[in-house]
Amino acid sequence: MELNQFHRPGNLKIFLLLLALNMVAACSFAQVTITGKVTGKGGNQTDGISGISVMLKGTRIGESTDNSGAYKLSSPLKPGNYIIVFSGVGYQTAEIPLSIGIASNYTVDINLTEKVASMDEVIVTGTSAGTTRRQLGSYVSTVKADDLTKGATGNVLAALQGKTAGAQISQNSGDPAGGISVRLRGISSIGSSSEPLYIIDGVIVNNGTNRVTNTQSGYDGVNVVGAVGQSRLVDLNPADIESVEVLNGAAAAAIYGSRANAGVVQIFTKMGKAGAAKITFSTSLITSSLRKKLDVNQSPTKFGGPTDGVGALTQDVIQAPLATTTTAVTRYDYQDYIFRNALGTDNNVAISGGTDKTKYYVSGSYFNNQGIIKNTDFNRYSFRANIDQVLNKWATFNIGLNYINSSANEKPDGNSFYSPMNSVTIIGNFHNIQQRDILGNIKAVGERGRANPVSVIEDIKQKQTTNRVISNIGLKLKPVKHLSIDYTMGIDNYTQNGTTYIPPFAYNVSTAFWGGGATLDPTQNGYSSVGNNNFFAINHDVNATYNIDISSKINSVTQVGFSQQYEKNNYSLLQGRGLAPFVQTVNGASTILPGVDERSEISISGFFVQQNFKYRNQFFVTGAIRQDGSSVFGKNQRNQVYTKASGSYVISGADFWRNLGVSKWWDLAKVRVAYGESGNLTGIGAYSRFNTYASSSFISRTSLNSSGTLANEDVKPERQKELEFGVDLSFLKSRLGLTLNVYNKKVSDLLIDRFIAPSSGFSSLKDNFGSLENKGFEVVVTGKPAATKNLQWDVTAIFNHNRNKAINIGQALNLLSTNAGAPVAIIQGQPIGVFYGTFFATDANGNQIKNTSGIPQIEKGTQNSTLVYTPARDANGLPTATATTLRRIIGNPNPDYTASFVNELIYKKLGLRIQIDAVQGVDVFNADFRTRQGVGNGKVAEQEQRGLIPRGYITGIYAIEEWRIADGSYVKLREISLSYNLGKIKSISNLSINLSGRNLISWDNYNGYDPEVNAGGQSTLLRGIDFGAVPIPRTFSIGINAQF
Amino acid sequence: MKKIIQSTIYGSLAVLVLLGSGCKKDYQNPNAATAAQVLNSAKGLMGTAIGIQRTYSLNVAPGIADANGFVTNEIILRNSGNTSEFQLSIGGTAVDGTNALLGNIWISANKCIYDANNVINGASLLADKGYASGLIGYSSIIKALSIGSLSMFWEKIPDTVGTAATGFVDRVQGFNRAIATIDKALAAISANAISTGFTADLPAGIEIVNTLNALKARYSLYAGNYAGALATANLVDLSKKSTFNFDAAIANPIYATATSTNNLYQPIDSTLGLPAILAPDLADKRIPFYTTINATINPRYRLNGFWIAATTPIPVYFPGEIILIKAECYARQASPDLTNAVIELNKVVTKEAANDVLGIGADLAAVAPATKDEVLLEVYRNRCIELFLSGLKLEDMRRFERPLTERKRNLFPYPFRERDGNLNTPADPAF
Repeated sequence: MELNQFHRPGNLKIFLLLLALNMVAACSFAQVTITGKVTGKGGNQTDGISGISVMLKGTRIGESTDNSGAYKLSSPLKPGNYIIVFSGVGYQTAEIPLSIGIASNYTVDINLTEKVASMDEVIVTGTSAGTTRRQLGSYVSTVKADDLTKGATGNVLAALQGKTAGAQISQNSGDPAGGISVRLRGISSIGSSSEPLYIIDGVIVNNGTNRVTNTQSGYDGVNVVGAVGQSRLVDLNPADIESVEVLNGAAAAAIYGSRANAGVVQIFTKMGKAGAAKITFSTSLITSSLRKKLDVNQSPTKFGGPTDGVGALTQDVIQAPLATTTTAVTRYDYQDYIFRNALGTDNNVAISGGTDKTKYYVSGSYFNNQGIIKNTDFNRYSFRANIDQVLNKWATFNIGLNYINSSANEKPDGNSFYSPMNSVTIIGNFHNIQQRDILGNIKAVGERGRANPVSVIEDIKQKQTTNRVISNIGLKLKPVKHLSIDYTMGIDNYTQNGTTYIPPFAYNVSTAFWGGGATLDPTQNGYSSVGNNNFFAINHDVNATYNIDISSKINSVTQVGFSQQYEKNNYSLLQGRGLAPFVQTVNGASTILPGVDERSEISISGFFVQQNFKYRNQFFVTGAIRQDGSSVFGKNQRNQVYTKASGSYVISGADFWRNLGVSKWWDLAKVRVAYGESGNLTGIGAYSRFNTYASSSFISRTSLNSSGTLANEDVKPERQKELEFGVDLSFLKSRLGLTLNVYNKKVSDLLIDRFIAPSSGFSSLKDNFGSLENKGFEVVVTGKPAATKNLQWDVTAIFNHNRNKAINIGQALNLLSTNAGAPVAIIQGQPIGVFYGTFFATDANGNQIKNTSGIPQIEKGTQNSTLVYTPARDANGLPTATATTLRRIIGNPNPDYTASFVNELIYKKLGLRIQIDAVQGVDVFNADFRTRQGVGNGKVAEQEQRGLIPRGYITGIYAIEEWRIADGSYVKLREISLSYNLGKIKSISNLSINLSGRNLISWDNYNGYDPEVNAGGQSTLLRGIDFGAVPIPRTFSIGINAQF
Repeated sequence: MKKIIQSTIYGSLAVLVLLGSGCKKDYQNPNAATAAQVLNSAKGLMGTAIGIQRTYSLNVAPGIADANGFVTNEIILRNSGNTSEFQLSIGGTAVDGTNALLGNIWISANKCIYDANNVINGASLLADKGYASGLIGYSSIIKALSIGSLSMFWEKIPDTVGTAATGFVDRVQGFNRAIATIDKALAAISANAISTGFTADLPAGIEIVNTLNALKARYSLYAGNYAGALATANLVDLSKKSTFNFDAAIANPIYATATSTNNLYQPIDSTLGLPAILAPDLADKRIPFYTTINATINPRYRLNGFWIAATTPIPVYFPGEIILIKAECYARQASPDLTNAVIELNKVVTKEAANDVLGIGADLAAVAPATKDEVLLEVYRNRCIELFLSGLKLEDMRRFERPLTERKRNLFPYPFRERDGNLNTPADPAF
């Protein structure tokens, strides 16, 4: 900051003195200017590469390249030998020696190589200085901006699908803001979320699912529904993202804190580069449609009497006594009514640039996407400003601000029978739903008080809006040689507001669906609610790094860090039923239903020490110890210590390797091992360890009820221990690469609400029980079959296998009652969340045993234990009628493996990217399939009505839970993207056109819409359940991207 | 400038250190009161007692009406997709430990007993004895009903609710424990009359002393103590009633799940589930009291009576039940008094709705059964009609030794939730 002092008034003396000193200094420090251009091989980057860091090694002098790849370093330098270090994400770091003599201008151009296995790619661990992939003992995958924005989705998590090893990312709902769950190396908990920790530019961001809509208590009651609705990362604009790093394992814990038991997803947003202002503009048009339509019942008749009005009989297929008479009916396909071809747009504009001292990136975005269900959509406005300021020689400061406003017009969640999907699933397809009475009112569908789909689509209004600010402030200091200190403060603050309006129905709708029953009871008919969730989180992280070369061969990096986090959440709900006409707010309710007011605070703090030694850039060891405390746990268990160790050896870097014959074609051989421990410091609710009495209003009094769960007040966090081995290999000048990871992740002191005998006064006990194990491997193969001037062809294949099981949970079986009727179980020695239920009786050859009418039978006999049974047969070879109904594991929602295969071709200015994702060996509990047959809109019902299968067939097998298990394996054409780069056109420095498709084809044997579904939302336990969830649409997008 | 930057940097680091050292980890839960707070205050205990009524009237009572209704043929299933009810509608081995409805009754009844014990223990330590006796009386009603409900459905019931792996005792002992609970409550009330302060806090509908006597009479009858049942039944003031009340926000649970949905169950028909020979006289005005006819939409017979609207109260006991207890006791006592038995029986048979505090009235001509068996059969028949869908019929079918073919289950299997967590759980009965 000496320069600034020249401008200080009244300091002439000092000015003159400094001038004199400067002149003296000039004798030894000559002003030197180094310029040059950084270029890269391949693709669109035959020109310059922007954003490459150019540093003079051992000094603080550095700069980054501009749009054209040019850089300019100006500094007073002593004559001597220097090394210029060129580094950037995705490129191999290059060190170029430069001898400075008496000349004042030097030119150093370089062509950087983009390595397939980018060993020297910078990985930003923690908020600290970063390291290179070469050093890492554990696996970290990186996804770059380009790969995130071509996939025709506005959700960053959807864009990550299939792009990182070890991650199973599934979209749980096809709603335009549908929730997405991310599981890194299987699930990491039973009682709490298995979502990874998300960090954006050092801010711990919330990806919670808050029910500000779908607030009705009626539809879940005693059942487990899961975590349904939007997951809050939907607020993030993918166009702002520079790169995403995914850390699968616990080895990352020392840096990321012990909330990282389910892994870490680090997101880095774009930063400005020194140089002229660069404007990037992109816009695209999105169309979505239903990928697969289900065939519906086309039988010309139904059993029994009429469909509506006097003597109506619906559920004719299963209603006892089984009617055998028939009535002619007209069949409809309600899918044509509830679905539509949806449109959307995604618009982004960003300006970035800066000077040596100040760099900025500012962006604005508007995203709008309709849902394929009529009258649903999602809108997002986002603004971001990232500013970097050099304060002085040893201090830089940065600030990032992101404001988001997102809103969605929704329809009730699929777990209710007044949702668009289930309102159609739950009725026979023989009602003319558009029929109206003389007053213009929609009419009832059948006699059972079901909601007419027309009411759901036209009348029910459900909306949620989120206002969110994510901001970060950082300070980087290099006060003395070898030492750097950085501080980051992050704030994530949002307000989420949801409103629901179910107008009073003009016809008989069950009070369970918020109608007024047959009498249109005015105290019950209709529902209105407003839910608010206020979330505030602040985190402070300070890290100090001391980096020193102990000798010419040994380098030491010591890090100490402290982190503090605080979270506050206030949720409130107002609701009422029995609505006045026209009034949409709760004010119109004649019956005010019990509200909700939930407030919580959490604080977490921890510190760590990490030591790393590096020997000749070949051999690396790291050890760390961390202590954390969280307010959600009791005093005795509050502070937990976690350790970590890792090592890696780059064999190909050793001297002997160079002398081996293989080194000609074998570029890299690295082995690594990592061990890490972590906990889940937010694994239970803020006050879950307390045994409390919940209060609620009851017939004009306050009732207090003890919880169904008895908590051990001394409960402790789960502890995860993970051991990972890995190999990184690359051949033929990096044209072929292989990465292999093998891991064993064990979570002990598992926090479970374990079922206990109700005679104890409680239904479950919250305590630490047993453990959970995830064993698996990940393989990443990268190849470059073609690399010529005109044609670049890159191939990436990822294969993940994970086997998950519960160990020593101290109880043979924990069977949950779920809303969808899925028998989700935790069974000793078995994967978590398997479906455990009744099944078909089969003979020795595995064929279904049928009675004389030809109806399959439920298996009966003796249940010896949870998993062992002995079937019993009567004289006719049928299951013995009086024996116990047997149960076994009938399905598993944990896949055998997931894989993805990506081909990227660049031919001159034309680019093509094709991504195929596969999930195999997985089961889905398709509750809707059975319902369709039971109510008579499905194809099996059609067969029974047409007499192709015996009458009573569906009733006969209705109770067999195995009937609802379907093969959920799929191979999907996940993404296809075709781009054409027009290059420079007049004032546009670069223009490209992009055509993308998403979820275009699915190869599967699934008996519903799409096996990639979960009615349980982002739930850890409830997975693979198809119950009224909106299928994931097929999406096309066409867009342009221009740079000025 | 340099100094400013420097001092800002160091200043903020210092603030940070202070922030860190001041990081608070003990937060009070503002959302709920702890057990200690609740169980050591009169108002807390009152809230808990009301909570027990809530649990019982929303879970146990409608649960036993539902399960009992299916296995005794009172109601028909409207949708086979309701798995628990589907099992019960078939009966026999189809009903197993997975049955969620039975599980819910078991869990909720045990919860009521557990919390009622907490209230009774906490109340005995209160200085305000008049308030305490009210609390003991009120929570003893639900405790007795909960023990009684378990004893009506299961062969053996938990011995000591509130312990980790309790043993089990015979169901008859259960009825005796319900009686002992009531006796203690009556003793507490006679020692210290219930204060007006307590009565003001009590939810509308519950009449403590009459209810205690009525339930004592019911369970004495079930336990085979006819003299005791008769004596206690005579203490019940039949001009009073005691009901579980609801409002539009927390609706009558049977209305909410069955009547208004037409998707769970409806009455079988005008026989109310009785075999033809015992079916009610079509002139019996209790048929239109309990059922209504929908001529246009299936099914024809619909729920009426205590389940017709969201705010309809459900009685805890019935005056007609008390009269029929007297009739039965006269007939069953060591030296049967058939004259008085028939007199009491005919009070119910000829009762007009206007003269019944609940509005139930058969309004038929008097009957004249001659033998003890005939009297008992007529008592049974009238209990089935008078107490339709009250959850008491299964116990009656056993007591009156109705043939097993008339019911779909005699006693229920123990819920897996209990068996999985308690090795002392007895074997399931075969039927």
